[in-house]
Amino acid sequence: MKRLDLIRVLAAAAVFVASGQANADSTGKWQSSQEIYDKVCGYCHEANVGPVITGRNLMPEYIQAIVRNGNRAMPAFRESEINDAALAGVVKLVSTSPAAAKK
Amino acid sequence: MSKYIALPKGVAEADFDKAIAEFKKILGADNVLHSRERLAPYLKIMIPAQIEEHTPSAAIMPESVEQIQRILRVCNRYKTPVWPISTGKNFGYGSAAPATRGQIVLDLKRLNRIIEVDPDLCYALVEPGVTYQQLHDYIKERNLPLWLDPPIPGPVASPLGNTVERGVGYTPYGEHFLFSCGMEVVLANGDILRTGMGSMPNSNTWQVFKWGYGPSLDGIFTQSNFGIVTKLGIWLMPAPPAYKPFVVRYPDQGDIVKAIETVRPLRIAQVIPNAGTVSNALWELAVVNRRADLYTGEGAIPDASVAKLAKAHGVGSWNVYTALYGTEETIAEHWKIVTAAFKASGGTVLTQEDLGPDDPLFNYRRDVMRGDLTMREFGLYNWRGGGGSMWFAPVSQARGSETLKQMGLAKRILNKYGIDYVGLFVIGWRDMHHIIDILYDRTLPAELAKARSCYDELLDDFAREGYGVYRTNIDFMDKVAKLYGPVKASVNRKIKKALDPNGILAPGKSGIHR
Repeated sequence: MKRLDLIRVLAAAAVFVASGQANADSTGKWQSSQEIYDKVCGYCHEANVGPVITGRNLMPEYIQAIVRNGNRAMPAFRESEINDAALAGVVKLVSTSPAAAKK
Repeated sequence: MSKYIALPKGVAEADFDKAIAEFKKILGADNVLHSRERLAPYLKIMIPAQIEEHTPSAAIMPESVEQIQRILRVCNRYKTPVWPISTGKNFGYGSAAPATRGQIVLDLKRLNRIIEVDPDLCYALVEPGVTYQQLHDYIKERNLPLWLDPPIPGPVASPLGNTVERGVGYTPYGEHFLFSCGMEVVLANGDILRTGMGSMPNSNTWQVFKWGYGPSLDGIFTQSNFGIVTKLGIWLMPAPPAYKPFVVRYPDQGDIVKAIETVRPLRIAQVIPNAGTVSNALWELAVVNRRADLYTGEGAIPDASVAKLAKAHGVGSWNVYTALYGTEETIAEHWKIVTAAFKASGGTVLTQEDLGPDDPLFNYRRDVMRGDLTMREFGLYNWRGGGGSMWFAPVSQARGSETLKQMGLAKRILNKYGIDYVGLFVIGWRDMHHIIDILYDRTLPAELAKARSCYDELLDDFAREGYGVYRTNIDFMDKVAKLYGPVKASVNRKIKKALDPNGILAPGKSGIHR
């Protein structure tokens, strides 16, 4: 990557972090729980496809089980996609999220 | 009592133990799964099949081609079959589950390198575990003027996986295999084949010229079990300076003839260059409604009720979603041509300006036809609820009389089973992919059985008219292979024997067995 490009990408990343959004990431490694929520869960659960799951104090064990087993139209997600440590982060994020989904 | 939840056909447990031990040596114990708990995600399907017939014995997760080669040596020794998946999001076709019980899922999600994106020649070279989201992020991070062409599950789905399944998207690059160039394939004996120009040492034309020299081989590794595709070149569309999506609504069910007759010449001549869609009223209603809120009667919703609902909800009986791409100037010229043609055929042409910013049906088509990521269409799964979905997808000529005939045929059979005709045609170049979502409540065994019988009958009745599907699910692969005739099946079997004499690669894929 050229130096200028690198600076541009880093600057963009700083803006993303500051605004609380997930960092764009092409490494194939999750950078944060928020990134997983935005780039997997959010496509349905923030889009009127799946139910809202934030701000409901959902039990961590329940979320964990649904992610691994799927539920009705919700697909299951494998360790190869979201490993146990990453899943624990998303579970925490969802179960402790404040009421009213962000828009 | 076996310590495994399933075993491959004909493999003794003692031999399977040895294979598992070898896999653990190659991959580390953490990347070899065989407990029911850890295999749970591989058992989740939407199709109306019994999971017992598709339960894997294990799942293994390599992260390199070299590991795959070593795995295959073990498989050849113990005759343990592997079922490769890229990201396992083949919803409505079998998800991550194998065609037959006891196969080991070879989960390639961890092979997720974007090896190269060339912004001048507009291509990417990717591994199986790369998602459209990951590639999207790569392009955004570098601010490259390139578009992707994701299918609806794009955020979690693999460009390589979708392409080798011969899936489609919605931009001008919608026919994915057509816009791929160059594969790396690991063969059952561990050899690595690079197709096309990739066979030449030091070649730099692998991703720019498809054919190479002699027989072109890429096609035999799609919808196939002749090898494991570990790298794929895909062509990316340069972002055009201007883009204008629109919808054309037609009031009557029979208007499918006018719609297709109008679209075809524009599409063949590339005035309309993309894989747009022509969806029926129930498709539009199903994406944004729950069926129970609109209709509570028995059986499939009758035509008269559909017509009333369509009117009340402001959707057409048929809805053509497509777009123009180019510069402001070329689009202005083409806009005159397309609006004149669609208006003359009795359609109402509408753009974002006409519909406003908040029309969910228009907005998600606007997004997918420019390669943006959205799963909004999966609102379809809320129509019936219960998580049952299976795609019946026969190929049709792009001819109005043919699409009308297929619609009639499909509706008659679906409605017999009490299933709504939720259908759409994806506009190919000279074909239409007729995509029908068989939506049913998978929590009710009787509904599951009905959906399965319905699909079976659809296959037979369509075949009788000479119509075949472009793709099928893990439960019907043998049947569809039969419908395509004995010579095709025999050639497939001969290739299989030559390339995979022990039958270790995905037995039953596309009805191909050793």
